[in-house]
Amino acid sequence: MDHGPGKILSLKGLTKWYGEKLVLDDIDLDVYEGQIIGYIGPNGAGKSTTVKIMLGLEASYSGEVEIFGQNIKESGVAYKKRIGYVPESADLYDNLTAREYLTFTGELYGLTADSADYKARLLMGVFNLEDVYDSRISSYSKGMKQKVLLISSLLHDPDILFLDEPINGLDANSVMVFKEILAQLSSQGKTIFYSSHIMEVVQKISSRILLLNDGKIVADGSFEQLRQKNKEGSLEEIFNQLTGFNEHQNLAEDFVQIVQRDHR
Amino acid sequence: MKNFTTLKILDLFRVIFERFEIDYPTMRRILQVKLTMDGRRPTTIMSQNRGGEKKQDSNQFLKSLWFYAFIGLTLIPILFIGDNFMFKMSLIFGVLMFLIMTAMISDFSSVLLDVRDQTVIGTRPVDHRTISAARAIHVTVYLFFLTAAIVSVPLVVGFVQFGVIFALLFSVTVLFSDLFIVAITALLYYVILKFFGGERLRDVINYVQIGLSFTIVIGYQVLARAFEFQGLQSSFEAAWWNVLLPPVWFGAPFAVILNGASGAYYYVFMALALLVPLIALWIYLSLLPTFEKNLLKLMDQAGPSKKKTTKGMNRLASLLTTSKEEHAFYQFAERMLKNERDLKLKIYPSLGFAIIFPFVFLYNGYSAGGSLDSITSGRMYLTIYASMMMIPGIVIMLQYSSKSKGSWIYHVTPLQGEGVIIKGTLKAFLIRLFAPVFGVISILYGILFGMRIIPDLVIVLLIAVIYSVICFRMLKGKLPFSQPFESAGQSDGWKTIPFALLIPVFGGLHFVVTNVPFGIWFYLALLLFIVPLTWQRGLR
Ligand SMILES: Nc1ncnc2c1ncn2[C@@H]1O[C@H](COP(=O)(O)OP(=O)(O)OP(=O)(O)O)[C@@H](O)[C@H]1O
Ligand SMILES: [Mg+2]
Repeated sequence: MDHGPGKILSLKGLTKWYGEKLVLDDIDLDVYEGQIIGYIGPNGAGKSTTVKIMLGLEASYSGEVEIFGQNIKESGVAYKKRIGYVPESADLYDNLTAREYLTFTGELYGLTADSADYKARLLMGVFNLEDVYDSRISSYSKGMKQKVLLISSLLHDPDILFLDEPINGLDANSVMVFKEILAQLSSQGKTIFYSSHIMEVVQKISSRILLLNDGKIVADGSFEQLRQKNKEGSLEEIFNQLTGFNEHQNLAEDFVQIVQRDHR
Repeated sequence: MKNFTTLKILDLFRVIFERFEIDYPTMRRILQVKLTMDGRRPTTIMSQNRGGEKKQDSNQFLKSLWFYAFIGLTLIPILFIGDNFMFKMSLIFGVLMFLIMTAMISDFSSVLLDVRDQTVIGTRPVDHRTISAARAIHVTVYLFFLTAAIVSVPLVVGFVQFGVIFALLFSVTVLFSDLFIVAITALLYYVILKFFGGERLRDVINYVQIGLSFTIVIGYQVLARAFEFQGLQSSFEAAWWNVLLPPVWFGAPFAVILNGASGAYYYVFMALALLVPLIALWIYLSLLPTFEKNLLKLMDQAGPSKKKTTKGMNRLASLLTTSKEEHAFYQFAERMLKNERDLKLKIYPSLGFAIIFPFVFLYNGYSAGGSLDSITSGRMYLTIYASMMMIPGIVIMLQYSSKSKGSWIYHVTPLQGEGVIIKGTLKAFLIRLFAPVFGVISILYGILFGMRIIPDLVIVLLIAVIYSVICFRMLKGKLPFSQPFESAGQSDGWKTIPFALLIPVFGGLHFVVTNVPFGIWFYLALLLFIVPLTWQRGLR
């Protein structure tokens, strides 16, 4: 795989337990500048957990996480200045207005209030949201909230982006804009690490795809490489194959039958 | 966003924060956002209206301060009891610290232990120390307002009566008692966070909070007793165990400076009043970063999945409910009452009080003169009505839930009317919360007063059932577990007062009836007739 010279992120033997449950099992991974990484895996595989660990939201893990060449347990919080993050659930202070929220988060990254406000308004405009810039986020639709989260993660022009299901709820047009944004950012050398369940999108924009299953990375490579290796046509089929899944028909039949069963 | 006066005042202390390596501008900014959000009513799921945004922000909390100011008025008479400042001020600090501490535990703990900030602020380059400090200051600011509301009128009265020295002394000691409470609570949480993790941690915190509220009430009784024996006028005799009563510490400076009291005990108390808050604060500030790190443990939801349903309880549920829907809501309410921690925190302490209060009244009747014999043969068992005082407070809490957003379920399911929801919930409340308390007191009273009171106990039980229905009217159609806790204001406190005043009426009625021959049997029969009626008519 060709990549730029700079190693941005490196996981060494990353292991995470939740109580009795092993979620991440000794994961090793190096990520280089300019890569767009599509991080996929079944529900509950541990994708969000990986991302949370890298942002310091989970402190109890073993192994090493290095971002920008420094172990995040030792480097303090400064590394977060160059990171943008979209959480999976729309966790934000939704009784603020978009202006208040975006200015606030921008300032936390060290922007001045004025420049954060100025940029945020323009970015809201790009997504056709300037009308509601001064309305409370709690009155937004799902996709509108998602756009606020996206803007908030990009406002400070970060070098690496962690996006956990970022296109959740976005309409088709906005997804196109979003894909283009990612492509342009990566061509400027920004690194993007994102998880998604929409295989077509992952297939199209990722320069490298990681498949997490049972706590391990079971596939790693560009879409072309995965296709050659697994002899399947689409990423969806590769996903089915690698997660050992071939009984969707049966499961669906069972499901419908159970729903319609008469109890008593 | 407003530039709050509070923040301008905080700016004066900037150096102190920077001393502890706190990023002051960031902390200030976080506080500004938090204060702004507090000023906004949370939108509940069914009441979101875009038009509401234009309205002026009005801080619900600030409005609720009137309630505390009202309570503060009750401190004024204490100022005029005798000349002994040690006594007066200890009592005042007793009341004050009781109010603040309970507010701290039940209303502000969630702020101190909030992990939601982690995703918004923790993922940005803000260090743990600063987040934690912002949170502690946020709590302190509110405690400060709360204290100010309680003490300002007594302070003015004291100033007029006792002069400027008193006023100064009072302001300073009040400030220290606030610091003491914040720091001690935070340290307590620190210790718990350190030793427990996961699901267990939340349970422990919950039990500690409940236990603490309980201890405060007991401690309060002890404080009152500390002075009882000397009578109101005579001088205060310090004893070693008074060291365990923080309100006494804060009373000491007044005795020394205004009464000219002296003696080793007074100096020890004064030293404690001064040093303990400062030391606790210093320890807390030094532990800040670890506090936040341990707080992350709260996010860990892992725990053994329990599956326990007792057969007997299930059968009881089917027996008590009349329809499938009601059964469903009974079980739902039962589980909410069992599992929702915030709700437990608000409810369980008052359950404890419900057990204690009848005995407190009984004891007061006893110590007011009266032999044990004359009490057990008399009608002091009517003090059991005191256990009903908890009902309005708990019923009004039943509308809240920290997961209130889930209440859309009420609106999308094909339910005929809301009666079943309320009936199910009310039955669950009576069986799971009231019945155990009432049972315990009944047994103890049965032993104390003899079998003759059994019909009376049945009457009290029936009255409690009717009374709960009456109290449910307070909710004014709000469905159980459908409102976020943030929308709970102290106005709830006001609302319960008229309902609480009904209890002595019921008690008095009962007393009158006992004077009529066969009166209680007629009363009992009448109630048996009324109860089904109230359930049918009262809950629509
Ligand atoms: N706070 C938590 N406490 C306990 N267990 C957790 C917690 N968060 C996640 N888990 C467990 O860890 C596993 C991985 O969860 P994670 O959220 O990382 O999955 P995911 O790959 O993001 O799934 P999805 O595709 O559904 O978003 C799951 O089995 C989940 O049950
Ligand atoms: Mg996820």
